[in-house]
Amino acid sequence: MIQLHQVSKHFHNETAIRYSDMVFEDGHSYLLLGASGCGKSTLLNLIAGIISPDTGEIIINGRVMTNESQQVRDAFRIRSIGYIFQDFKLIEDMTVQDNIDILRLEGVDVSHAAGLFAALGMQEKRNKKVRQLSGGEKQRVAIVRALVKQPDIILADEPTGNLNFSIGEQVMRELAETARGKTLITVTHDERLASYFDHVVDMNEMTSGGLFDAPSDSREVM
Amino acid sequence: MFHFAMKNLAIKKAQTLLVILSIVLSAGVAVLAYNVSGQVNDGITGTAAYYSAIIGPSGSKTQLAMNTMYFSDEPLGTIPYEVISELQQDMRVASVVPFAMADSYNGYSVVGTSTDFLSGKNVSQGEMFSAAGSFEAVLGANVARVSGVRVGDQIYTSHSVGETHKTPYTVTGILQETHTVYDNVVFTQLQTIWAAHEEEEEEHEEGHEEEHEHEEMNGMVCAVLVRTLNPTYAMTLVNDYDGRIFMSRDGGSHTLQAIEPMDTVRGILQDADTTRYIVFILCAIILVMNVMMIIIITLLNLYHSAGEIRLMRLIGISMRKINLLYLIQNLVVGFAAVLLAFLLSRVCLLLMRDYVAQMGVVLNASKVYPLEAVLLAAVFIINLLPTMICTWRMAGQEGINN
Repeated sequence: MIQLHQVSKHFHNETAIRYSDMVFEDGHSYLLLGASGCGKSTLLNLIAGIISPDTGEIIINGRVMTNESQQVRDAFRIRSIGYIFQDFKLIEDMTVQDNIDILRLEGVDVSHAAGLFAALGMQEKRNKKVRQLSGGEKQRVAIVRALVKQPDIILADEPTGNLNFSIGEQVMRELAETARGKTLITVTHDERLASYFDHVVDMNEMTSGGLFDAPSDSREVM
Repeated sequence: MFHFAMKNLAIKKAQTLLVILSIVLSAGVAVLAYNVSGQVNDGITGTAAYYSAIIGPSGSKTQLAMNTMYFSDEPLGTIPYEVISELQQDMRVASVVPFAMADSYNGYSVVGTSTDFLSGKNVSQGEMFSAAGSFEAVLGANVARVSGVRVGDQIYTSHSVGETHKTPYTVTGILQETHTVYDNVVFTQLQTIWAAHEEEEEEHEEGHEEEHEHEEMNGMVCAVLVRTLNPTYAMTLVNDYDGRIFMSRDGGSHTLQAIEPMDTVRGILQDADTTRYIVFILCAIILVMNVMMIIIITLLNLYHSAGEIRLMRLIGISMRKINLLYLIQNLVVGFAAVLLAFLLSRVCLLLMRDYVAQMGVVLNASKVYPLEAVLLAAVFIINLLPTMICTWRMAGQEGINN
């Protein structure tokens, strides 16, 4: 279970986002909808431990992650959180397989990759360089990298944002199927994907503060 | 980790090769210059140190030393063999070796001497000339190879262009290749040189030919190489013979010159030291430029890798692992570059061997001076420093944001 308690985050441009207290139950899927800049991506980065809140607590499975060091949060992220970034965050000059194998640096077992590639129809592309792939294929590689470690929590930031609707829908379907039984939190502004989720959250109602001046995605705060 | 580091290097082939090439060329040249300089210095002084004194006709000390030890330059003239007889009676003297250079074979100098002169040298074919024999020759390896001469063949020497001696020399042996000046010389008995010249004089007298300007060789030598019983005797021996006017039995007077070869060679090397220092300074400049280049290339690489590092941080790879990854990459690049620089310097040493051998020095490719190792280690560490500093600075930043 993921709990947010009185969490707020300030940015360099003095804008701030305050989140309402939230709870994400284990094994449920959540779709976070909202306008650009309402703090959706920031929320994912906070849960992933990539950034720290200025106030409040983030508690994951009873553990107050906000009290932990960056090192501990990194270790937790690589073991327990599968994060699918909006812009994939893949090393373009490396092969698809290398982008998965990179997790082995931290001792992550990537033996499930073959099955996931097969499930997503990517087994033929494993030795191709990422830069040779289409947007949809890159998104699938990002999904495999997020799921290969069999995480308890999957965070997906606009997983269909770079894809046309039909491919996006297919990717979303595949993601929802492969993530079944996990806690899946997906951020998007595309309401048409709502049918794939147990819960739909309007983030415009869950945040307050200088929302409209807040950075729109994680890249700007990293 | 190692496998991934290698993959990461492979995708940055151009930058990696640039760093390696930069280190290989600069460190290789620096190490080579230091090694050659050291070995030439050691080799020349080593050869010079073998004899305590050289006695010859008056004239240039350098010419006397270079002619007798490295067979270069022309002999200064001749002195009577009686000098050798006198030296053999001297209590300070351990051994005396005559040296006469007068003729040539296919452009290679013919040296008349005793077998003592070739002590320490081995023949690859045949045997040394006999002390009592005459018109026997032992050929340097290169002379035999170039001239296509074998043991048992007869060769004709000449005094000058167009003046070939009538009596041939029988080749008794061919020296093992030494990659020194000895490879380019024909050695024979001193009395053979005398006999050849006596024969020539007779021909001139009988034939009433035009007068030829040539040195009277019979009973004469170009120089005497002396080993004393004690190094301190060398100085007194040189004092006794240097500048002395030697009266031969036939009434001729000969002004002698005596040198301590080590002193003479040191003098030559001191002159050469200026050039050596200039080479070292140039090498130092190349190295400094190389260090700057390594730092710039590494920083540029890291700048280009910043996105990759951030990406790895985002997916949860710890900074410790990232540091290790880049450290391994730099260790591999540094090690490969330093190893190649060392190998390059050794290959160059082998290629330069024949050229340097003309100075009487055999370059040994396996010879490593301690400072060479220090130099390569320094380059290796310098290669690591920029990455280590940068990644440690990144590691010191808590969090991934900002």
